[in-house]
Amino acid sequence: MRADGQTVLFARRPNLRGEESAQRGLLPVLLGTLIAAVLALGCTNRPYADEESHEPILYVPYGEPPKTLDPAVAYSTADHVVTGKVYDTLLDYHYLKRPFELIGGLAEHVPEAEPLEGGRVRYQFRLREDLRFARDACFEEGPKDPARFTEDGARRVLATDFLFSLSRVADPAVGSPVVEPLSHIDGLVAWGERLAARRKNDAEFAKRRVSQQYQEIGALSGFEVLSDREFAITLHSPYPQILYWFAMPFTTPMAFEAVDYYTGEGGRPSLDEHAVGTGPFVLKRYDKRARIVLEKNPDWYGVRHPEWRAPAATFPSLEGVTGLSAANIEDFAPLAGRSLPMLTRIEMRREEETIPTFGKFMQGYYDTSGIARESFNRVVHEGGLSAEMAERGMRLEKSVVPAVFYLGFNMDDPVVGSAAGERSRLLRQAMSLVTNSEEYCRLFLNGRGLPAQSPLPPGLFGYEEDYKNPYRTLNFEEARRLLAQAGYPGGIDPKTKRPLKLTFDVADTSPESRVRFLFWTNQWRKLGINVELSATNYNKFQEKVRDGAYQIFQWGWVADYPDPENFLFLLTGPMARSASGGPNTANFSDPEFDALFGTMKTMENTEERLEVIRKMRAILERERPWIELFHPEEYALAHGWLRGVKPAGLSIATTKYYGVDAVAREQARREWNRPILWPAWVFLALLAGLIGPLIGRYLKERT
Amino acid sequence: MSEFFSPGPVRDALTSSVIALTVLLLAVIAIIKVRKDEPLAAGFAEVYRRRRFSIAVLVLYCFVALLDSIAWVGGGSVSEGDLVSAHEARSVIDRVFSRPRERGYSAPLADKEFYEGSPLAARHVLGTNVLGEDVLYLTLKGARVALLIGAVTSLITIPLALFFGVLAGYFGGRLDDIIFFIMSTLASMPGVLLLVALVMALGQGTLSVCIALGVTSWVGFARLTRGETMKLRQVDYVLAARSLGVRPARIILRHIIPNLLHLIVITFVLLFSGLVLSEATLSWLGIGVGGSWGQMIAQAKDELSRDPLIWWNVVPAGVALFALLLCLNLVGDALRDVLDPRTRRLRA
Amino acid sequence: MLSYILRRFAYGALVVLGVLVFLFFLFFAVATPDDIARRSVGEKATPAVIEQWKINHGYDRPLFPGPGHYKDNLFVRHMTSMLTFDLGRSDADGVPIKQRIAEGAGPSLALSVPLFFLELFVSVVVSLFVAFFRETYFDRIVLVFSVFSMSVSILLYIIGGQFLFGTVLRWFPLSGFDSSPSLLFRFLALPVLVGVFASVGSSIRFYRTVFLEEVHKDYVRTARAKGASELRIMLKHVLPNAMIPILTNVVMAIPFLFTGSLLLEAGFGIPGLGALTVEAINANDFSTLRAMVFIGSLLFVLGQVLTDIAYTIVDPRVTLE
Repeated sequence: MRADGQTVLFARRPNLRGEESAQRGLLPVLLGTLIAAVLALGCTNRPYADEESHEPILYVPYGEPPKTLDPAVAYSTADHVVTGKVYDTLLDYHYLKRPFELIGGLAEHVPEAEPLEGGRVRYQFRLREDLRFARDACFEEGPKDPARFTEDGARRVLATDFLFSLSRVADPAVGSPVVEPLSHIDGLVAWGERLAARRKNDAEFAKRRVSQQYQEIGALSGFEVLSDREFAITLHSPYPQILYWFAMPFTTPMAFEAVDYYTGEGGRPSLDEHAVGTGPFVLKRYDKRARIVLEKNPDWYGVRHPEWRAPAATFPSLEGVTGLSAANIEDFAPLAGRSLPMLTRIEMRREEETIPTFGKFMQGYYDTSGIARESFNRVVHEGGLSAEMAERGMRLEKSVVPAVFYLGFNMDDPVVGSAAGERSRLLRQAMSLVTNSEEYCRLFLNGRGLPAQSPLPPGLFGYEEDYKNPYRTLNFEEARRLLAQAGYPGGIDPKTKRPLKLTFDVADTSPESRVRFLFWTNQWRKLGINVELSATNYNKFQEKVRDGAYQIFQWGWVADYPDPENFLFLLTGPMARSASGGPNTANFSDPEFDALFGTMKTMENTEERLEVIRKMRAILERERPWIELFHPEEYALAHGWLRGVKPAGLSIATTKYYGVDAVAREQARREWNRPILWPAWVFLALLAGLIGPLIGRYLKERT
Repeated sequence: MSEFFSPGPVRDALTSSVIALTVLLLAVIAIIKVRKDEPLAAGFAEVYRRRRFSIAVLVLYCFVALLDSIAWVGGGSVSEGDLVSAHEARSVIDRVFSRPRERGYSAPLADKEFYEGSPLAARHVLGTNVLGEDVLYLTLKGARVALLIGAVTSLITIPLALFFGVLAGYFGGRLDDIIFFIMSTLASMPGVLLLVALVMALGQGTLSVCIALGVTSWVGFARLTRGETMKLRQVDYVLAARSLGVRPARIILRHIIPNLLHLIVITFVLLFSGLVLSEATLSWLGIGVGGSWGQMIAQAKDELSRDPLIWWNVVPAGVALFALLLCLNLVGDALRDVLDPRTRRLRA
Repeated sequence: MLSYILRRFAYGALVVLGVLVFLFFLFFAVATPDDIARRSVGEKATPAVIEQWKINHGYDRPLFPGPGHYKDNLFVRHMTSMLTFDLGRSDADGVPIKQRIAEGAGPSLALSVPLFFLELFVSVVVSLFVAFFRETYFDRIVLVFSVFSMSVSILLYIIGGQFLFGTVLRWFPLSGFDSSPSLLFRFLALPVLVGVFASVGSSIRFYRTVFLEEVHKDYVRTARAKGASELRIMLKHVLPNAMIPILTNVVMAIPFLFTGSLLLEAGFGIPGLGALTVEAINANDFSTLRAMVFIGSLLFVLGQVLTDIAYTIVDPRVTLE
């Protein structure tokens, strides 16, 4: 840039103006192109590919990803979102009838109980013809034995596959949470113990394939294989609820090939991350942190044999169904007899934030939605749909969920638990007396909850509407008196001379839910008890609970099946988390309660049974292992194009009954989501207005 | 580590008050020192002239924080609905707002509850949140948290950075190598991740968050001081002092550090705003400091989708945070313009 | 030259080792395995419970090498598992961390790379404009805007961006991610826009200072004296000369693109490494956090070493020490 630079500078001067204007024009052009490109290419808020839009695909969000897909282990609602669709069950519930009624699933009929000598009971199952597993890589290993495979190479479902899945439940290494209820099956526990002992003593044995190990341990005495399609299960004592367990995926048939193949080693996923089932859907994509895709299973019996009209394979007719609303009848009647599943695919997207989730539902990109607390007043107006929602063709389905939410005390804890005897009982009673769940429902659930008096929710045998628990009625005077009697006058712990300090372990770490938990601790501050929050996420919380390291916790229980036994067993001694890893998280153990439970569980729904339940309720009322909070009421929103939706409350597989009017959906999506483009032009105009005068001035100065 | 802050109401009150008073004392000392230092004093006067309003706002924040920091146990009236608080240290602000909680939301200045319309115990200037707590009270309390984070972290960061930076720059050689290595190591870790990892390892709580912020933010400043010290070492009067055999400690205290003062001041103000923003990020992740504005925003963000809108939870916290950062940035810019020789030249 | 390159690499390796030792002290000495276990299973856990947790997660070993356990101790295991890129399994759900990182890298890069370059482009162009029209109303507007933009937390940008562009204007999806090219753009547009908006303020301020510093240099005055037009000075003199600080800034930032943005990814549901980190935080998953910090610093050091070497090759003025 010295002398020669100068000449160049001069020499190029005539061109300079052209060059400059080109450069000056470049920026707005570039910016304009960019914005035009953004508007043209991406100017839609549709979060899916466009070509999918006319297929009957169900779009639903999910929050917490499943922890495991292993049907012998999976128990939480988050897991069931997938396992309930890919694994089929021996028995099923009638989709429309309430109270719930069992019907055949993989089994042709619901078996009758055959009483045997010594109080034993036998159930004989007969499987449907031509049941097959979904195609999977694990079946392609080695030669195909014609005894197990059909001519076109599909793996048949055999009676032994049910034996295998029960063996897995019994296997202590699998860690199934339902060993206890299924231990009614004769010899199940002994079989598991034999397996564990053999593994411990014989290192060589422990290295063998799981299927081989099971075979070597020998027969499970309560399970008889009668033929390929028939088997019988014998219980050592009567347990009528066992049939409900056969309507859950724990006892879904399991192919030994899958267990041997999906070990989590050699680059193959484990059964926690992969599913080989017989259900109406197959897992197509399992990217659990972001997206789960299920597709219609072409090998499902209902798909292969639509002419069978099997009860769980077609949409039920309305005959004999009562209690449906007019809107329901209008929706369900045309669907009756249609073969299932009506969906070709289920697209599940992970959504962690409530605002975008509900926003996408409102835009028509999700087919169903719960109602976020924040949106409630917009959606529901005086118990019905608001005008805005009704105009969009939405439906509101209200149902009382057979569930209970409660605050539990860890009865193994030295301060709040039974070790502190009378003192801790008074403390629990006092805390229960000031816990205002009605206010909680009002503030956080928009009143969508019924304050609970006992563990039993409405709709279950044993629930009594006029029962009022004296310790669940607000009474501060009494609470202060009890607290003083417990040795904590005014909440002061005599040992430290300061307010009694307790810890409340919660499963959710988000700041929003912190407010909810603070609501409870604020209640106890009124008594002078200082309860501190300790937050971890759900999976980690389950770990904490498994290890018994907690004092107070909040938990909910959704019914597995419609029987009071399913709620009251949560408080029986043998179910204690600390003793057996069972679901009695409070570790409550009371011999009298356990004895009453033993009587109650095998009884028919009679006045005598009610009497026993009342006695059990009285024990809980006094001992207060739980502070029962509320029974939630579910308000589910569905778009008008989603057909055949009937909320069940129970964790049962309902998705196969859903249908989608994809054309109507597409129309609505287009109509509701026309982008508003003018602000872009306003913005560009503003930008030009901002820079234009400057450029103008510059040009003027130059000339 | 975090125990230092959490249990024991008396200790709690003591630490909080002691920290507040220490900061106050340091500020007074700094002002006296600065008044002696003519160019710096002139610079401050110039900044004050330019940013009178921002400085007034910052002083207001400090005043509120101070009111909330002076706490003691017992005495005064305690709200009926909270017996525990009688045994906890309560600050002046707590005592001013010692009204019982309302039942739930109420709009600013409303005389009844937002949803049920039941009567309120009192009118609330900024309404109440879902737990019935006064939003103005919570917002005011946030000032202390924000300033505490900024002040404690600066108290960790600046001495640390000054010490290592000057040491490395002045003595050079092996010592410089070692210090530079430590700085490279820390600087090579992604900032947010290191911050999060530190908070997780130290445990949640105000002090851990401050230590974590301190560890992640001292390196940049130390590099700056190291470079400046290297330059100052070669300046005539330092060379003269060295040749006269003045002890290094004396040279550093007499000649080096006073010449770094403008850097310290600028860094302090700009660091402050960065720290408060970082805390908001941590709060969003659920590992921030309880009671901060970041946490208030994170707790109430979903309420923005309510219809009718509940805005009075997010907005005050957001505005308080924004105003603090804006004033800090404005004052910081002015300080840099006035004090930094580089930008001073630029403006000429 | 070769010896310089080797020495530079050796120093880089030393820094990486330093990071590993630091991480070890952070996660094992400051927070001992007992602390980690206690935080995972609760403050009031019994010793037996803590022991079991430590066994399950491989923490049941002495911290440092000593007689009888020169190989089987936490320090050696930590160093080897990191240096061999084995990275171990997550403390939370037992999935190999390597697999998790491999899955998350794509989405993270897909967001951070366009975000970074767009932000760079916008801030350089705007600050060039500002330098060109310095001391006009435009300068002042931009300055006020950038201070405002710096003073608002990114959290508010995310909430506001989703509301404005997703719900009201319906230009972009509210959140989500898909790696197919046709959808990628759609999902990334809003997070990129929000990210640019949130960070452009401080960048503009930085580049503005850089440009203004150049504008006041002697060579500019000389060029102006020669009669070169202001525009030409900007594009032909100031911009190239400002390139060095700009490029240094760019190079320093590139390694961090990999680790993603925690808040943007979490807020927009992008399953990248930032979101992975957020999940690790929520699950007290220390092993994943450890691995993330290690990978981040490794990339940073590598980037720095390569830049230094590139500088010495390209610019003869940089002396080889």
